[in-house]
Amino acid sequence: MDWLFEPFTFGFMQRGLVASLMVGILCAVIGCYVVLRSMAFLGDALAHAILPGVAVAYLLKGSLFVGALAAALLVALSIGLLSRQGSIKEDTAIGILFAAALSLGIALISTAKTYAMDLTHILFGNVLGVSSGDLWLTAGVGLLVLAAIVLFYKEFLVISFDPVLAATLRLPAELLRTLMLVLIALTIVVSLQTVGVGLVTAMLVTPAATASLLTRRLLSMMAISAAVGGLSAVIGLFLSYHVNIASGAAVVMTATCFFILAYLMAPRRGIFWRLLRRRSTVD
Amino acid sequence: MTPLTNRSGTATCAWAPAHLLVEDITVSYGHRPALQEVTFCVPVGTRVAVIGPNGAGKSTLFKALVGLLPLDKGSVMIHGLPLGHHRDCVAYLPQREELDWRFPVTVADVVMMGRYGRLGWFRRPGRLDRAAVAESLERMGISDLASKPIGDLSGGQQQRVFLARALVQEPHILLMDEPFTGVDVSTQEATLELFDTLREQQVTVLISTHDLKLSATRFDQVLLLNRRLISFGPAREALTSQTLAEAFGGQVLFIDGAVVVDRAAHVRKPYAE
Repeated sequence: MDWLFEPFTFGFMQRGLVASLMVGILCAVIGCYVVLRSMAFLGDALAHAILPGVAVAYLLKGSLFVGALAAALLVALSIGLLSRQGSIKEDTAIGILFAAALSLGIALISTAKTYAMDLTHILFGNVLGVSSGDLWLTAGVGLLVLAAIVLFYKEFLVISFDPVLAATLRLPAELLRTLMLVLIALTIVVSLQTVGVGLVTAMLVTPAATASLLTRRLLSMMAISAAVGGLSAVIGLFLSYHVNIASGAAVVMTATCFFILAYLMAPRRGIFWRLLRRRSTVD
Repeated sequence: MTPLTNRSGTATCAWAPAHLLVEDITVSYGHRPALQEVTFCVPVGTRVAVIGPNGAGKSTLFKALVGLLPLDKGSVMIHGLPLGHHRDCVAYLPQREELDWRFPVTVADVVMMGRYGRLGWFRRPGRLDRAAVAESLERMGISDLASKPIGDLSGGQQQRVFLARALVQEPHILLMDEPFTGVDVSTQEATLELFDTLREQQVTVLISTHDLKLSATRFDQVLLLNRRLISFGPAREALTSQTLAEAFGGQVLFIDGAVVVDRAAHVRKPYAE
């Protein structure tokens, strides 16, 4: 059992565990909407767009959180504006802004002396460097996002499933859509330290996609997704300690394993059962 | 043209009070007008069938009536008030391909959405809402499907779910796009019976269809549309060889007093609308 608990005798590992767990669950819950509304590319773009904000804050020795948040909100709102004009399709608008923001971020960070190390931390996270202040911030923002998901559950469900009903109910769909983007942006910002810019999309999409294979109700999809996200975070962190690999990558690979398992074995819809059924009908 | 409208574009309702008054509306996608200067007036509790070839603007008309598309000009008045003043007044059943059927919701979840307008912000459905949902499911004969995911249902069952949802909305006006396309006969009959009941409750029903026979036999009024309003009134007056030829052009044939609309010509251009 020492083998199991040993990693968590260190303070930095305990903080890392709590941070990963919170981020894993938070990403997984809001990720359900990312998956259902086909916003994976948008989530990826938001994550990368955070880079210049972080870079500026870093160079000015300001708060990385504030820098990241400002950049994420700016990009979320400009994607909406650019695509609403109608002259450019939304995914093109996302592609342009996403690459532009990423290159601006890299350009800014490359002016710093410790360029390679800092960039690695921002891109892939550094869960072992989590301070207790970071933990409180993550917990606060996480609770805020989850509270919004609970409070606007009905409205988010309607604008995602039946935009026409949303319009006849006179729901402010545009406002709700923007609110959802802001919630996703907040989630990405607090996930930065744990999984980094490069892998946060996986935490948004993979647990939710896994859950979507296992259930057909939104509430249980969110619950299963949260379980997959949380478990992946714990198992991944544990693996990263024992196998000595980057923690963000370990967490995402664990989540991917859950997805593959669900894809193969999901009741009724899994590949495995389908093959089995085909075999039995042939016999 | 019927006595209900005149060339100057103003509408007068022979019956009062006018529940739905559409006055001189023009709607376009980009620069291409899909509906031009359409004017008509539907009295309380009337069942109207909207007929026209593909691309005639049937879906466009419905979307304009619920405020999903902006009007270039003209106005839509319900109970004497312009669109946007009523929250629960109009229920709209979208065409089946407009929805993502893999979405993780059950039949009961979908029907409950019909109560959301009544509930308002931050309130969860209560006992009364659940009772209304159960009653509505019962009325459409799908109580046993309540906890099924909507993706597992047949086309006809899906339509009953959305009718059940429209019922719990308790609308004054019900709009349905192509309710008889791709559903089984029993669902079609259940839908028509529901329209009869709704009529007794003074609910106005507008549907779009390709089915001339159903329109003529099971609806009070027929609205013939091809970008412009061609005729509106009881089927016997609104559907003449002249108005049909005007609406359908080369797709309509007259054989020994019978009217044949070439359905193949409809189906060939599914993206026209």
